[in-house]
Amino acid sequence: MLRHSDIGNPVVIDMKNVGIRYDLGPEVLSDINLSLRKGSFHFLTGKSGAGKTSLLSMMYLAQKPSRGVLNVFGKNVNFTNRDSLALLRRRIGVVFQDFRLIDHLSAFDNVALPLRVCGMGEKEVKKRVKELLQWVELDKHMFDRASTLSGGEKQRIAIARAVINRPDILLADEPTGNVDNDIARKLMKLFIELNKLGTTVVIATHSEKLITDFAYPRLHLNDGNLRIFMPNEGLRGGMRTI
Amino acid sequence: MITNNPSINRKQELPLKDDTSGIFLKVMISIAVFLFAVTLAGVLSINSMLNAWNESILGSVTVQVMPVNSADQKKAKQETMDHLQKTIEFLKKVPEVEHVRALNDQQLAKLLQPWLGDGIEIENLPTPKLIDVKLKSGAEINFAKLAEQLAAVSPLASVDNHKLWLNKLIKFADGLKMLALSILFLVVAITSGAIFYTTQANLGVHRYIIEILHIMGAKDTYVAQQYARQDAWIGFVGGCIGLAFAIPTIFMIAGLADQIEGGIISDAKLSWLSWLAIACLPLLSAMTAMGTAYYTVKKTLEKMM
Repeated sequence: MLRHSDIGNPVVIDMKNVGIRYDLGPEVLSDINLSLRKGSFHFLTGKSGAGKTSLLSMMYLAQKPSRGVLNVFGKNVNFTNRDSLALLRRRIGVVFQDFRLIDHLSAFDNVALPLRVCGMGEKEVKKRVKELLQWVELDKHMFDRASTLSGGEKQRIAIARAVINRPDILLADEPTGNVDNDIARKLMKLFIELNKLGTTVVIATHSEKLITDFAYPRLHLNDGNLRIFMPNEGLRGGMRTI
Repeated sequence: MITNNPSINRKQELPLKDDTSGIFLKVMISIAVFLFAVTLAGVLSINSMLNAWNESILGSVTVQVMPVNSADQKKAKQETMDHLQKTIEFLKKVPEVEHVRALNDQQLAKLLQPWLGDGIEIENLPTPKLIDVKLKSGAEINFAKLAEQLAAVSPLASVDNHKLWLNKLIKFADGLKMLALSILFLVVAITSGAIFYTTQANLGVHRYIIEILHIMGAKDTYVAQQYARQDAWIGFVGGCIGLAFAIPTIFMIAGLADQIEGGIISDAKLSWLSWLAIACLPLLSAMTAMGTAYYTVKKTLEKMM
């Protein structure tokens, strides 16, 4: 929900006339104008192929826009060198729809990845990972290879990996798609708690139930264009460009 | 306690140890190090041979006094001895000369023995008298001027500074050395090329994991260090295997060279420093593999992502 307290917060992701195309194909996203402030919470919706994944991939700096300006944490990504981009990525947690776990690593090593990449000491890594795995109820599978886990377990590992380093931005693509309602509610609670601590959250979802249960603004992609809808407005109500 | 649990040992994100390309690289590097070690031993031996030859050129001069031709052999012999004496007297006064020694008949007979056989009566043969002249250490002598002065003292005396025949040998040895150095360069270039292309192909294989690492905030150096560590180990193991085959080969070649008579090849000895250089080859191969892998990963990732 857009809270009064968000308004004065700094912008963490800022897109101006951003477009993206792959090779010489048509633009997947056109003229996207979007400012996400620190501590905001949005759902991202749209039909399959509407460009949600492309939009998210620009947000987590896996892709640069083909045109327009993208600023993340105040830095124009087109003029930021590779090492600085890596430092920016460390402040962003991502949950992928296909989890993207490393199969030959254990659940523990997968969750520890963002901390090790930052160069954190193993003692602290073990402490933090153990706590989080307990929280997502996977401490019994700590040493199991990721490839041996079920879909729901993989999803919880992916979420644990995304939040382990307490990111400033959390981007999640269908994070509750493979878990039961209880776990889904618990994970949403985790996202809300992180959001209260100042993390900017964007959740891509097809679940109308999730959107109606949790009253947050919705970013809706249609034919490569982005619109914002305020909570409980539905897609026909109060449409506005952001 | 979780900290004591052995299962929690950190595992490399990139499963490079399980890659079959590692076996190919090990074999490749061991062959390269074998060739490198044998060729390097050759270069170092040639170097020591050249140094020994150069030392002998710089350190000594041979002066020969031709025999006087006369029907009266006794008179001719006496005149030859007079020329020899005058020449020795002159040579002793030259400032660069440290020691002058005329070869006696026995020594001359020994030198001629390969051509004339045993039991020759050297005093009855019109052979030139030879004077071995040792020069002072570091002294540089003007051979043209010395030859001129000698001719003034005795028209029968002439200088043989060994340079003429040794120069041809030195040129030949220098050529061999250059050839060996080119082989060393080629071996390093081919090995580095193999590491470069294997690493590039391997990056493609592990692209999925590398993308995840990047999204988690890993810098290119984080990925490059994993490749560099693995390839350094491969380089070291490959180097040790290559060296293990190369050392007996070097000894075998040295044994064959020792069987050649003439004393020229026997100058080609490897010093302990040369052996140390050869023993360090596994370290060199590890460093080359590490450096090449690191450079390749950094350059490829810049283009790949």
